Amino acid sequence: MKTAGTTLSIGLLGTALLLAGCSPAADPGGSSADPSTTSSASGTVTVWDYYGQATPLKKSIAEFSKAHPEITVDYQAFDYEAFHSKFPVSVAAGQAPDLATLDMTWIPLFAANGLLGDLAEVSQGQLNGKPLADQYSSGANEAMHYDGKLVTALYDFDAYALFYRKDMLDKKGISVPTTWDELVSATAKMAERPSAGAAPTKYGFAVQPDTFHYAQYLFQNAGSILDNDLKTAVFNQPAGVQALDFMQSLLTKGGGVYWPDSATLTAAVKSEQIGMFVNGPYMMGVLKAGVPEQSGKWAVAPAPVGKQPGSYLGGTGLVIPTGAKNSAAAWELAQWLLRPDQQAYVFTEAGAAPATSAALDLPALSAPDPYFGGQAPFSVFEDAMATATHFPYVASWGDIDSAIIDGVTSVMLGKESSQSALDTAAKTSDAALGN
Amino acid sequence: MPLVAPAMILTVIFFFVPMILSLVWSFTKYNGMAPARWIGGANYTYLTQDPAFHTAVWNTAIFAVVTMAIGPGLGLATALLLNRGVRAQGLFRSIFFLPVTLSLVVVGTMWKVLLADNGFINQCLALVGIHGPSWLEDPSTALLSVSLVSVWAGFGFETVIFLAALQGIPRDLYEAAALDGAGRYQSFRAVTMPALRPTLVFVYVVGIIGALQAYDQMYVMTRGGPLKSTTTIVYYLMERFQRFDLGTASAAAYVLVVVLALLSALQFRLSRRDA
Repeated sequence: MKTAGTTLSIGLLGTALLLAGCSPAADPGGSSADPSTTSSASGTVTVWDYYGQATPLKKSIAEFSKAHPEITVDYQAFDYEAFHSKFPVSVAAGQAPDLATLDMTWIPLFAANGLLGDLAEVSQGQLNGKPLADQYSSGANEAMHYDGKLVTALYDFDAYALFYRKDMLDKKGISVPTTWDELVSATAKMAERPSAGAAPTKYGFAVQPDTFHYAQYLFQNAGSILDNDLKTAVFNQPAGVQALDFMQSLLTKGGGVYWPDSATLTAAVKSEQIGMFVNGPYMMGVLKAGVPEQSGKWAVAPAPVGKQPGSYLGGTGLVIPTGAKNSAAAWELAQWLLRPDQQAYVFTEAGAAPATSAALDLPALSAPDPYFGGQAPFSVFEDAMATATHFPYVASWGDIDSAIIDGVTSVMLGKESSQSALDTAAKTSDAALGN
Repeated sequence: MPLVAPAMILTVIFFFVPMILSLVWSFTKYNGMAPARWIGGANYTYLTQDPAFHTAVWNTAIFAVVTMAIGPGLGLATALLLNRGVRAQGLFRSIFFLPVTLSLVVVGTMWKVLLADNGFINQCLALVGIHGPSWLEDPSTALLSVSLVSVWAGFGFETVIFLAALQGIPRDLYEAAALDGAGRYQSFRAVTMPALRPTLVFVYVVGIIGALQAYDQMYVMTRGGPLKSTTTIVYYLMERFQRFDLGTASAAAYVLVVVLALLSALQFRLSRRDA
């Protein structure tokens, strides 16, 4: 009995100690660190980065450290997928970094759950001595705000354009498609099949069943994902159904190849199974690194248009998480990273697209690119950004995204009609929105 | 007592406390940041109405049935072959056990490449004139593909277990059966199977418990798709966790805990009966 009583006491003591320390340390209101405890711009800044091996941050941070010896940067790199899990857990545990790179598609989920600080407090609306809002396009400005708060500063942007094997189009006498109908026709002529009716085995057009690509056609067809109040799914209305029908027609009438695994796209380009696809500026760097032998054979053009130009707007944002211990110094570093000369590294190191308006005028971005046959492809993506729309900023975006992917996949696999699939996806989305 | 106190404290902190917290969260709306809000059994009610959870339960059940229908049988057959005194038995045992030593992430990644549309498996099928399906991209074949990969990865463990059990059966039982005129099949039925019963119970119950917790290979090979055809209960609750829906994730986890507890109790009862 004495033994049992002692055991119980130890157990209860351990439980009490643990529960005493278990309460969330982060402020759930989503505001940045209390100004009264914010350090001056000095000390240590912890930076978390998901960019990977080609990150432009390392070079920028090295130069920042020389220019700002009073600030020590603790740079930590993480795998993209692990980052998505580690970031919220760390913020909730009071172990948030001071500055982090985040995929823009994560912004609604993280912002809705109070993980992101309000940059307006630390920036006072200024970026490198000028109004912050003036240094981004209107679409980018909108994408940087959640529920009226400035939750991120866009570091690089993602908007879609058409990548195509110029050498094959020239060889087969095919014009670069500029409309949906021309895309169906051009891909049908470009693709090579082992037999009539078989899926293309050479120079096909990748049809990727994800929300990024469906949204491309939805927005081009003047459609929307949610209504203006962000309360109800509207992608199952005629504009959305037509967009999905068009995606399917690329498989049934065009030279489309159903390609659900984006991780294997580069390999498919390398084997020449894929000769055309729609994707963002970061693919320029991916192609150069992954398929160097096809240098000079590729070109970039505006994505073929439906009723209007359109694309999803994504990219990477710089955030100062809730509970950051040195937000002032973090903002100093963020401003450094957003200087035009530092934004150049986004293109030269990572092959991605810098986001600030001033960076878009950098000479490096308009230089002829030998990989793309002497074309300066960046301007195509810059034009795409001007008409790009970010995904709805709702807390349940993950569930809506998943529902749309299932609907699009179902149609691509021929399981059901576009209307039926999108109605099911809309019902799931409305439930996730609380309707 | 002082000697076990550290272990007791660690067990309480890292085992019992998380279990209790998770149970409490299952009755709350909680995103891990804002204070948890008590909502009673609403999360459990939601699970009974969520088609995605129903799909996860169904997929988990099918995965368990397929892997347990094939795995132990294959393991026993392999053990019986190895028990016949083949040369280099140790080498064969190691070869069959090798996949068990690989992490499921490695197994899943390797088989994802092999089962690709233009992968090795379909290339072999093409040599004999068969056009292989999209193993992992077709909802009608994805779960079966992942299940068979899991069988490949795990049957070596069952082989080793059964082989040890077979080698523990006294030889004189077979001699006695032979004296009574029993043939090979009759010896198997009358001597081998009864002697293997405790091992069979262990393998099946432990195997089912493992199958009900399948996640790694689904994550690596198919990400729970296509069309949620490979989403299991654990995959479902991980998705809820990643979307900061800790209440629903905890409720799903406790549904699984109850099922696993019942299975463990069944195994314990059957083991006691055999003893």
